[in-house]
Amino acid sequence: MVSKLDEDGYTPHISPTIYYDRTHDIEAAKILPGEYYVTQRDMVIVTVLGSCVSACIRDRKAGVGGMNHFMLPGDEAAEGVSQSARYGAFAMELLINKLIGLGAERPNLEAKVFGGGLVLRGFTTTTVGERNAEFVMRYLNTEGIRVLASDLLDIYPRKVYYFPKTGRVLLKKLRSVHNNTIVDREREYEHRLRVTRIEGDVELF
Amino acid sequence: MARKILAVDDSPSIRQMVAFTLKSEGHTVVEAADGAEGVAKARAEKFDLILTDQNMPKMDGFTLIKTLRALPEYHSTPILVLTTESSEAMKTQGRAVGATGWMVKPFNPTKLLEVIGKVFRE
Repeated sequence: MVSKLDEDGYTPHISPTIYYDRTHDIEAAKILPGEYYVTQRDMVIVTVLGSCVSACIRDRKAGVGGMNHFMLPGDEAAEGVSQSARYGAFAMELLINKLIGLGAERPNLEAKVFGGGLVLRGFTTTTVGERNAEFVMRYLNTEGIRVLASDLLDIYPRKVYYFPKTGRVLLKKLRSVHNNTIVDREREYEHRLRVTRIEGDVELF
Repeated sequence: MARKILAVDDSPSIRQMVAFTLKSEGHTVVEAADGAEGVAKARAEKFDLILTDQNMPKMDGFTLIKTLRALPEYHSTPILVLTTESSEAMKTQGRAVGATGWMVKPFNPTKLLEVIGKVFRE
């Protein structure tokens, strides 16, 4: 399968990484920055967040849930509808469309949100994590999607385990970044967003 | 020239951004949250252009287009699809059901306005 990422560099795509989590004795999907995953199965979705945010969303009646992992691109001078808001809405919509495609209904959606830590210090003037956290809360509010729990901001990277069948979340705040993997992956993602023109194709028939 | 536009999308965030963009150019915008509501509103008053999402609850964009194309008053009204779907297969299907154009999200506001201008040959 050709990943969307290879095509345009910014479109969040479905995580390809599935493994068996021995600790929780369950099938697991690991998602990286710019990825998302949706399932109807009894699984755990795992990610590690620095300044990025993850929305964990499910419809408990339909038995389908998923998680994304994204950050907003740095903005051009915000005039009218900003690029970051359009990109954020796009990243959220991909996840929500997939849930609806698997039988979820908008009024039933419930969310838990995490991330937005002050992890990437000194790499832009504004705090990237704060913008991401503010965006995801404002977006869910506009969409009328209930937020049942959140753990945002602060200075810690977070490891999130989301069990979409039950809605349960295990959250580990990582005291220190043992290696720079989290930071490196986020920087690489941030760079991709910065150098790519973030807009979809247009065709008149 | 200012037009009367129907914006159909199940996401309030997208509707807000689209409406803001169109109104800034002087267009009049009416919003609908799914295909069924879109069809109802289009029947109630005539629009110059319809902008619709594809994946929506109750009625999707393709069904909305097919339904409207069957009505004499919307036989040749421009209908643009604004969607996250970027595959050629979906685009081809959109064209087959009668869409006028296909725009993939995230949308660029300037480009959206340009496309509307082109549709009306302004």
